[in-house]
Amino acid sequence: MNFFNVTLTLSLALCLSGLLFRVAVWVRRSLPGSAHSPAKRVVYSLKETLRILFSPKIGAVLLAFFRDSLLQLHLLQKSPLRWGIHFTIFAGFMALVLMHAMDGVTAGLMPGYEPTLDPYQFLRNLFGVMVLAGLAGAAVRRWRNKGMRRTTGSMDWFALALVGSIVVSGFALEAVKMSSQQVFERMVEDFSPFLEDEELAALQAYWSGQGVVFDAGAQGKEASAAMQEQGEEVNENYCGSCHANTASAFVSRPLAMGIAPAASALDAANAHETLWYLHVLLTFFGLAWLPFGKMLHVVTTPLNLTVRRVAVSSGPQEMAAGLGVDACTHCGACSAACSVLPAFLAMGNRNVLPSEKLISLRRDAAGRLSDRELAAYAEGSFICTECHRCTEVCPSRIDLQQLWLHARKELITREQADPHGLIVRRTAAAWSAYFQERIPQGANVVDTRRPVNLTDRRESFWPCIQCTTCTSVCPVVAAADDPVHELDLTPQQIMNLMRMGLKDLALGARMVWSCVTCYKCQENCPQGVRVADVLYELRNIAAERMRPEPSREDEDTQKGAQ
Amino acid sequence: MSRENAPVYDVFVIGAGMAGMAAALFAAARGMTVAMCGSVGGIDFSTGPLDLLSVHPVAAGTVWKSPWQAMDALVRDCPEHPYAKVGSARTREAMDAFCKSLAQMGLPYEGHAEHNTAMLTPAGTIKRTWRVPRSMWQGAVALEEKAPCLIVGFKGLKGFSARQIESVQNPHWPALRSAQLFFPGFRGELYAEHLAQSLADPEVRRALAAVVAPELNGEQFIGFPSSLGLYGGGDAHAHLEEMLGAKVFEIPTLPPSVAGGRLRAAFERYLPQQGVDVYSQKLASQGALLPDGNLRFDVTGLGAAPLQGIPESPVAEFQITARTAIHAGGRFFGKGLQAERTGIREPVLGLYVQQPESRDAWHAKQFFTPEGHAVNRSGLLVDAMFRPLSTAGEVAFANLFAAGSILAGQDWMRQKCGAGLAVSTAWCAVEAAHSLIGGGK
Repeated sequence: MNFFNVTLTLSLALCLSGLLFRVAVWVRRSLPGSAHSPAKRVVYSLKETLRILFSPKIGAVLLAFFRDSLLQLHLLQKSPLRWGIHFTIFAGFMALVLMHAMDGVTAGLMPGYEPTLDPYQFLRNLFGVMVLAGLAGAAVRRWRNKGMRRTTGSMDWFALALVGSIVVSGFALEAVKMSSQQVFERMVEDFSPFLEDEELAALQAYWSGQGVVFDAGAQGKEASAAMQEQGEEVNENYCGSCHANTASAFVSRPLAMGIAPAASALDAANAHETLWYLHVLLTFFGLAWLPFGKMLHVVTTPLNLTVRRVAVSSGPQEMAAGLGVDACTHCGACSAACSVLPAFLAMGNRNVLPSEKLISLRRDAAGRLSDRELAAYAEGSFICTECHRCTEVCPSRIDLQQLWLHARKELITREQADPHGLIVRRTAAAWSAYFQERIPQGANVVDTRRPVNLTDRRESFWPCIQCTTCTSVCPVVAAADDPVHELDLTPQQIMNLMRMGLKDLALGARMVWSCVTCYKCQENCPQGVRVADVLYELRNIAAERMRPEPSREDEDTQKGAQ
Repeated sequence: MSRENAPVYDVFVIGAGMAGMAAALFAAARGMTVAMCGSVGGIDFSTGPLDLLSVHPVAAGTVWKSPWQAMDALVRDCPEHPYAKVGSARTREAMDAFCKSLAQMGLPYEGHAEHNTAMLTPAGTIKRTWRVPRSMWQGAVALEEKAPCLIVGFKGLKGFSARQIESVQNPHWPALRSAQLFFPGFRGELYAEHLAQSLADPEVRRALAAVVAPELNGEQFIGFPSSLGLYGGGDAHAHLEEMLGAKVFEIPTLPPSVAGGRLRAAFERYLPQQGVDVYSQKLASQGALLPDGNLRFDVTGLGAAPLQGIPESPVAEFQITARTAIHAGGRFFGKGLQAERTGIREPVLGLYVQQPESRDAWHAKQFFTPEGHAVNRSGLLVDAMFRPLSTAGEVAFANLFAAGSILAGQDWMRQKCGAGLAVSTAWCAVEAAHSLIGGGK
């Protein structure tokens, strides 16, 4: 076993066991909405898979593979630019994998295959350029687009960098090999050990004439025509069957010429060996890392797209949901379309954004959220308006809405409800005691942190004459069978508490939390009291006091959101 | 808001209470271009009936059947009362025009040709008034005849007790009975406006009739707290009469009442149709005389009270320029006058306010004294054309007029002359403004 085989076997083993681990997670993990035992999930999923494979639906599966996995038409539908970028990377890299990385297996399928013969030499360069161009496009897009930059994390940059460095190291390796005296000598030794010195010199002169630059001494010297001719003949006899002119390596050859001045130094440092190790190790690292990072999507996304096309949505859905969660490519399309994005901009809670909330959901299912993180996740979950937009735009067709709905139900059972859900669980008096304990420092007299402060200012309520107009016109009071029982207090009673400076008593009143901000009260107040604004402000104050004290990181995130 | 090309109105009406609404109505009827602004409180706090005059002198609490005889006595005893300047002929003309317009707006009023109508109050007492909303008229008829009558109250509706009305009236009206019922679909605290809203649904009316019907014992009249429909279109009223087989009437409730809201809604729909630019819930904050003789006013949002970090003075949202203006801003609640530590002030133009010499003299020792308080007779002094006077007794602005409760020399609450005062002085102010700008142009 040489180094190559050992590392290949090792990384393949890591990759496969990683994939198995993923599947095991789908089997065992309880995502929100999970209700079936692992055994039931497995049996159901196997049965479903077999049923589909041996039914006319197999046609749909093949079609899905062709349309979604190979052509990625689902991306083209969403955004031609994004499809162009992604498809270039995908096509280039897959071609490199099949034609180049796996040539030990696939060589037999390619007529007259030698890596250094055309068209393969040319194609390798072409595919490499495709990948790099696609990566550059992706990077620019993630950086230039404000919405995407918001959700792009280190994992996204890392994935781009890893793929890029595999290709770049490949180009560097090829260029260094072209300009390496050592490599030339090793080739001569292996394939034409009996050449005369004169023939060798001619061969070297011939290659130099072809633009390969390993012989720094030969450069600039005009080789005689006879020598050229002899070199060409030797080349044809010994090298030509495996080595085409390097001109078709349209990236590596200019690169080799560019590094020519340093060629002998690089050669002396065995750069070609170092780069070979680097290239191979980067590639194998990518393979081993595949199940553990965002590149898993090359497996899960096509699978999810197929499952969502053909599978029925009844029966135990845990495996499908697990697959869905893992099919996220973190592309950020959902967050860019999110209808409560402004809430994120105002609050800085990343869990408002679907792409980020999904990460928390995954971590929560694994029991890895701290109390504070859980509170932030719950807050983000309940700010969601279930508008379905994220699910609509998701190119991986993850059933996000379903996840959010289940997650909310589950959060409620864990006492992680939103303020609206929590407020009905205690009486206004009990809340009043709770809120009084949580008066923020320095805010007990007049809270000056908010730009507009109505509730702490007596002037806001001086004109109130308790005429009940606000209550009379209030549609929320009108809709209540019994206002006192259902709302605790009516709007004019809340204004009366404000007049008396009893703000904390009002914070938990259900009227405050049931206000639909139609502003009828404020529009109709004969005295110009800003009733609706006051109710809204009370809600904000209460929500602030219900939230855990913000941590340093939260504040940083909030700044970053602006 | 820039109003460089804004029109110069013939008249700008300050105030959207009874006087302001009447002034805008009369001015538009005379073909004048009109803008008006004001808070809605004044008219919202009406309970429906239109008083002309029923008590004089207030100290004695003498109640008059004929408002015209009362007016003669009042003008004789209190020549400073605005009615002295209006005169009974113009008052009659103004009230007739006002009621005719109300009928056109879908709020018909009833009353006697020459004398006041007696009607029930929610406290069970009798009030005499000039014109009664048609929805309340059968109550006056029943009271007059002392006919068998059922008063229906609703459990949870504050300020209205059918039982109290029954117990107060029974000595004079033995055929009056009461029933305190649950209003269908409501529990706990009730608000008349919500009941009125719900009665738009015929199902609710049927449910209400089903609750009331078993209580009837041959009564031909049924009185409800004023809540039979939000806009006074009469649908709920007629439907209930049909189902219950009796004359139905409303009894006023405490302000702000549904009946007041009907008046406001009627004007807010009708005035814009007459070409009046209505700026509801806006206040004139400051006025000035322009070199060309026109008046210009800053208009600001009601409740645009200074906020933290925002300069103390209310910010003008826009300005209105007019050839004449009618100040119908009311008193303290309407914000036409401001009571301050040092005295009573008129905030828009800084007009002279006739008032007691010091704050000590504002109120009598007894709050419920029948004579009333001096502060309640404070206000603007006007000339025969209803133009406010300055301290020196001269006209403050040649083209500024005043109407309604902002006028000095009256105590409309105790004299029961609120609507008549508002409508008749508005009539006179409009007449004067109209003649000033050259009449039928």
